Amino acid sequence: MRTAAVWIIIFPALVLSVPAGVQAPSGMGAVALKGATIHTAAGPPISGGVILVQDGRIRSVGQSIAIPGGAKVIDLAGKVIIPGMIDPHTHIGAFDADDVNEMPQPLGPENRAVDAIHLGVPDWQEAVAGGVTAVITGPGSGERMGGQSVMLKTFGGDLKRRILKEDGDLKMAVNARNLSHISDIYGNFVKAREYLSQWRQYQGGDRTGSPPKKDLALEALSRALRQEVPVRVHIYLVPDMLSFLEMKREFGFELQFIHSVESYKIAGQLAQNGVDCICLPLGTRYHETPDQLRGIAVLHNAGVRVALHTDHPVIHQKWQRLNAAMAIRYGLPEEAALRAVTINPAQMGGVADRIGSIEAGKDADLVVLDGPWFEPRSKVDMVFVDGVLAFDRTRAASQEGR
Amino acid sequence: MARKDTSALEIPRERRIHLRPVAAAAAVLIALLANAHPTAQTVTAIKDGTVLTMTGEAIRRGVVLVRDGKILDVGRDLQIPPEARVIDAGGKYIMPGLIDAMTYFGVRPSDRNDPAKPITPENRIINAYAPFSDFMGGRGARDRRNEIWSGGITTIYVAPGDKQVIGGQGAVVKTGGRPGQEAVLREPASVDMTLGDAPKKVFAAQKKSPSTRMSVAALIRKALIQAQEYDQAQQRQREKPAEGASGQPPRRDPANEALVRLLRREVPARIEANLPDDIRTAIRLAEEFGFEVVVDGGIGAHEIADELAQRKIPVVLAPVSRTYMTEVEGGHTKELFAMVNERNAALLAGAGVRIALASFGYSTGYTGSAYQGRWLLLEAAMAAGFLLPEEEALRAVTVNAAEILGVADRIGSIAKGKDADLVILGGHPLDPKTWVEQVYIDGVLVFERPRSR
Amino acid sequence: MMRRHVSSSNSFRAGGSHWFLGVFLASMMLPAAGWAQSTLAFRGGTVITVTGSPIEGGVVLVRDGKIIAVGKDVSIPADAAIVETGGKFVMPGLVDAMTHFGIRPFGLNSQEQVTPENRAVEAYYPFGGFFKGKGGVEADNELLYGGVTTVYIAPGSTQLIGGQGAVVKTFGASYHGLILRDPASIDMALPPRPPREGTPPGRMAALALLRKTMIDAQEYDRRVREYNQKSDDDKKDAEKPPRDMANEALQRLLHRELPARVEADFVEDISAAMRLAEEFGFNLIVDSGIAAYQLKEVLAQKKIPVVVGKISHPFAPEYFTYPQELHSVADERNAAWLTRAGVKVAIASYASSFGGKATQGRWLLLEAALATAYGMSEEDALKAVTINAAEILGVDGRVGSLEPGKDADLIILDGPPLGLKTWVERVYIDGTLAYQRGGRN
Repeated sequence: MRTAAVWIIIFPALVLSVPAGVQAPSGMGAVALKGATIHTAAGPPISGGVILVQDGRIRSVGQSIAIPGGAKVIDLAGKVIIPGMIDPHTHIGAFDADDVNEMPQPLGPENRAVDAIHLGVPDWQEAVAGGVTAVITGPGSGERMGGQSVMLKTFGGDLKRRILKEDGDLKMAVNARNLSHISDIYGNFVKAREYLSQWRQYQGGDRTGSPPKKDLALEALSRALRQEVPVRVHIYLVPDMLSFLEMKREFGFELQFIHSVESYKIAGQLAQNGVDCICLPLGTRYHETPDQLRGIAVLHNAGVRVALHTDHPVIHQKWQRLNAAMAIRYGLPEEAALRAVTINPAQMGGVADRIGSIEAGKDADLVVLDGPWFEPRSKVDMVFVDGVLAFDRTRAASQEGR
Repeated sequence: MARKDTSALEIPRERRIHLRPVAAAAAVLIALLANAHPTAQTVTAIKDGTVLTMTGEAIRRGVVLVRDGKILDVGRDLQIPPEARVIDAGGKYIMPGLIDAMTYFGVRPSDRNDPAKPITPENRIINAYAPFSDFMGGRGARDRRNEIWSGGITTIYVAPGDKQVIGGQGAVVKTGGRPGQEAVLREPASVDMTLGDAPKKVFAAQKKSPSTRMSVAALIRKALIQAQEYDQAQQRQREKPAEGASGQPPRRDPANEALVRLLRREVPARIEANLPDDIRTAIRLAEEFGFEVVVDGGIGAHEIADELAQRKIPVVLAPVSRTYMTEVEGGHTKELFAMVNERNAALLAGAGVRIALASFGYSTGYTGSAYQGRWLLLEAAMAAGFLLPEEEALRAVTVNAAEILGVADRIGSIAKGKDADLVILGGHPLDPKTWVEQVYIDGVLVFERPRSR
Repeated sequence: MMRRHVSSSNSFRAGGSHWFLGVFLASMMLPAAGWAQSTLAFRGGTVITVTGSPIEGGVVLVRDGKIIAVGKDVSIPADAAIVETGGKFVMPGLVDAMTHFGIRPFGLNSQEQVTPENRAVEAYYPFGGFFKGKGGVEADNELLYGGVTTVYIAPGSTQLIGGQGAVVKTFGASYHGLILRDPASIDMALPPRPPREGTPPGRMAALALLRKTMIDAQEYDRRVREYNQKSDDDKKDAEKPPRDMANEALQRLLHRELPARVEADFVEDISAAMRLAEEFGFNLIVDSGIAAYQLKEVLAQKKIPVVVGKISHPFAPEYFTYPQELHSVADERNAAWLTRAGVKVAIASYASSFGGKATQGRWLLLEAALATAYGMSEEDALKAVTINAAEILGVDGRVGSLEPGKDADLIILDGPPLGLKTWVERVYIDGTLAYQRGGRN
C-alpha cells in the first residue's frame, strides 16, 4: 500500500507541475497571475503585482493581494501584463473570403449585424495572437449612411458571451470632399428631428388618429439624436470636420471621427466639443506624413479622447500593438497610448463596464508579454479572454513543429 | 499504431530499487528515443495483415518488411528482425498505395489551359502544380491532402486542362512530402491532348480555328509534321554543322522538343477521347506518326475494344458516376450520353485491354467541390459490381495505373525493392463500408484516420 | 553649407530660438560636414560593426571617404575632425535590398512581357521633391531619415522579365556619384503581379515563355562566341550576328556575371525559378519569398538567398494586391526559419515611392526589430539590413559593415538600433554628412 500512497502523492504533483502553457481551467477555481508588471490602464503600473481571476472575471488586482488557497498560481515574474486590446473600428470577419469589397447591408432591426460576420476566418486567431481581444467590426465603409456594426470579442465558444453589443452605432462616411455628401446628411438629420418630434407628440398625446409613418432609416438616426448611439464618421479633411461640428452643435449627437487624419489641426475645438478621434498611425504606410503621426499626441495634449484602430484589412488586425508603438514613437505618452487601445475604445463602445482595463469586476481579458508592451521586439506570450487561455505562444509554436 | 511498450509507470513491487524496473525504464527511454525519429532507417514490420500484393494471391496473416522507404520483403512466414519496429495490422487489409492515373489536381483554374492557343506542347504542368496553395481563400494544403489520403491515394498524374488540343506535358507526382519537395516520379510524363467536343467548342466560341474535328486533327498533324522536320534539321546540324548564313543552325524550340520526345516514344501521348470515332482518330494519328498512345476517358471504347486490344492501347477510364454528373452540367453531348455503358471497364478488360480507373478530379476551393479521388475505391467497387473481376478492379487503381504511367518499377505493387507506399484498410478495399485507416509513403506514415470520423 | 533639413518649409519659420540653435549646431557641425577630404574620427559610444562584436567606447576613423580603422584603441591623428558619439550607437548605413524607389509609377514596367534590356537606372529620379528638385546636392531625404544609405532599385514586378536593377547610394555629389553597381541583376517576377494584358495566361505559359527566352539567349550566346572565335579571314566571309540588347543582358546572366532576382512567393513559383536556374545555369536570388520557409532546406543547400519583404506582413497595406491565397501561408517567422536553416536573408522594404508617397524604407530598422520578436536574433536582424543585403547585391566590398577599406557610410543613432524610440541622428555617406535630424522629426 505504501507504493500506492507514493503514487497518490506523485501523480497530482506531476499534473500540477505541467507548465502553465496548458489550458487554464475556465470558470473552475481561481487563477492567480503573479509577479508581472501590470499596466491596468486605470492607474499607474503595478510592479510585481497579482491578478486574481475567477469565473472569467478579474476578482482583484494589486501588489499585495491575498491568494486564496486552492488557486492555481502562474508565475509571471519578469513579464508584462496589459488589458486585452480593443479596436473600435475594423472590418475583421466582415468581408468575403476572396473579395475585400464590402457587403452592403440594409438598415433595419430584422438584420442582425452578427449574421454578416464570418467567424471562421483565420484572421480572428491572428488577432488574438496579436493581443486584440475585442473589436467593433462591420461591413461598409463606403456607403454614405448606414451599415451596421457589432462589438464582440475575438475569441470564445459561447456566442452570447462573446457578443458585447449588437446595434453598435450609426456609421457614415465622408470619404471625399463632396459638398453634396454633407448636405445630404444634414438633410437627413433635419428629417430625423422632425420624425422624432412627430413620434414624441403622438406618444405623448392621446394617440388619436393614425401614428406617423414608420421609417427605419429615420429610426436609426433618431437614436443618434437621443444620444443612444454615437455618430461615427470616416473623415479626413478639416472642412468636413467643421461641418460635422456644426451639426453636432445643432442636433446634439455624440460624435466620433474615424481616421480623422487632419483632426490635430483643430484639436482645441474638438476637445471643447467633446469629439472623440479614432486614428490610424500605420496608415502612414500609404500616404500620410509625420505631421499626422505627431498629430495624435497633439490631440491628446489638447484633451481629446483618442483611440487607435487598424481598419482591417487595410492594416491587419494583429498590428494594433504596432499602431500604439508608432504613436508612442511620435510623442504620445506610453500610458496614453495604452489607454488609446484599451479603455478609450471601451468607453467609445459603451462597454467600459466590462472591458478595457484591469480592474476588479471586469472581464479577465489579459495579454501577457515578455518585455515592454509597446516594444516591437517584445512577444505576446499568452492571451486570456474571459479568463480562458485563448493563445499560448509556446504551444502554438510546438504544434507547427518547424 | 502498436509500439513495443513496457510501461514506465509500472509500480515497483518492493521499495528497494530493483534493477528490473530501472532497466525497463531505460529500455523504454531508449526505445522512445529511437522511435522519436521514425525515418525509415530501422526496419519496420507490418504484420498480421491480409496483404494484396497485386502480383499474386492475397497473403493472409502476411508480413511486409520495410527499410529505408523501400519494401524489403513480403510474405507469410517472414523472419522479423528483432530490432524491427512492429506494427500489428490486426488482420486488416494491406494494399499498395493507390494511383490516380488522371487528375487536374492542385492546379488553379486560371493555370489549367491557355485559352487563346490550341496547341502549346511547351507548357509543363509541373510549373503550375500547387497542391499546397489556398485557392479561393480556403484552408488549402492540409485539408486537401487529407482528402487525397483518405482515399488511399499515394501517387497521381497531373494533367493540363482539356480546353486545348495539345495542352502541354503532364507529370507524375507522389502525394506526400513537404511543399515543393514532393517526389516527382516522372516529368515530363506525357504530351497531353484532347479530341472531341471540348477544345473545338472553346475555339469556335472565339471564332477561331479549330472549330471542327477535322481541323483539330489537321492541327495535330501539322504540329507533328513540323516536329518531324525540326528533328531532322537538328539531326543534320549535329552531323554536319553548317556554316554561313544559309546554314544557320535551327533555333531550339521547346514546343518542338516536346513533340520530338513524343515521336521518339520517350513519352506517350495521353489523348482524351470518348466517342469511338475520336478514339479512332487518336489511333490513326498514333499509327501515322509512330507514337505511343493512352486513351483517356474512353466512354465509348467498349465498342472498339478489339481494335484497342490488338494495338495494346491502354485506356484510363473516368468514374462511371462521373458521366452522369457531367451530362447534367452540359459537358457532354446526347450522343456521348447514349454511349455510356457501366460495363465499359469489364468489356475492355475482358477483351484484353489494360485499363486504369481514375478520378479525373479537379480540386478547387475549400468546400465540397474538392477532389473526387477520395472515392476512387468506391468507383472500383462499382466497376466490380458491373462485372469487372475484383482483381482487375484493384489492379485498375494500382499496378495497371503504374504501368500506364511508366513508373511500375517504383510503385503499384507490394514487391521487394519497390517504394513502401502502402495503405492499410479496415476491411476489403471494395467493400463500401471500408475506410482507409493508414497511409504510408516511402515508409513514412502520412495519414491516420481520425477516430471521430 | 552642408546642413540638410527634412522639413525645410518649417525650419526657418520655427522661431528665434530654433533658428539660433540651428545656426549654432550647424557651426559645430561644419568641420564634420566637409566633403570627404579631411580625416574624421567618430569617437565613443557603442560601435556596431555588424561583422564583429559591438565595441564599447569605440572609434571609427575615416579618411577621404573610406574607413581606415575601427576599434577601441585607435589613435586619432591630430588633424582629425572629431565627431563625439559618446552615449550613441554607430553602425553601418542600412542597405535596402529591394525598392522601386525613385521611379515614376507609370515608368516601372513596360508593356511587353520580357524586356531584359530595360535598365532601372534610366528611370531613376529620386531626389527630394519630385518635379521640383532643388538640384545641386542630391539626397534622398525619405530614406536617409531611416538611416538607409544604399538601395537596390528595380523595375516593377508586373513583367516576367522587367529588366536590370541597379544599386545606388542615397546621397552623393552628383547623379553619377550615386551609382554603386549598374547593372546589378536581371529582375523577374513569377507570376507577374498584377498580371497585365498580354501576360501569358497561366503559369505554364509564363514558364514556357521564360524557357524559350533563355534558350534563345543561349543560342545567341553560342552564335556570338562562334563568330568571335573565328580567325579574321573567316570573319570576313561569315555574317556577324547582329547585336541584340535583350540577349546581351541575358548573356551576362548565363555567364553568371549577374544574378537573377526572381520575385516569387508560392512554393510552386519558387520551385519553377529553381528549375530554370538549374537548367540554364544562372545564379538565383528569391525576392519576397513569402512561402520560402517551406523550401528552406533546399534553398540552403543550393545557397539561394532570399530577400524578404516587411516582417509586418501580410497585407499592411498590400492586402489589395496580394492574392488571398497567400494569407494562410504568410508567417512573420519566415525570416527566422530561413536564417536558422542556413539561408542568407535580407529584409527589405519593397518600397515603391515617388513624390509625396512616404517610403516605408524609413522604418527598415523597425522591421528588423519586429523580426526579433519573431525568432530572429538581434545580430541576424541587423545583418539582414546591412551586410547580408550588401552581399546579396554584390557590393559588400564597399558597404554593409564598418571595416577598414569600406566606404564611410555610417549612421549615428540615439539609442539601440532596434529600440522603438531610437532615432537616426546623423547619416554619413562616403564620409560626408548627408543628413542630420532637425528639431521636428
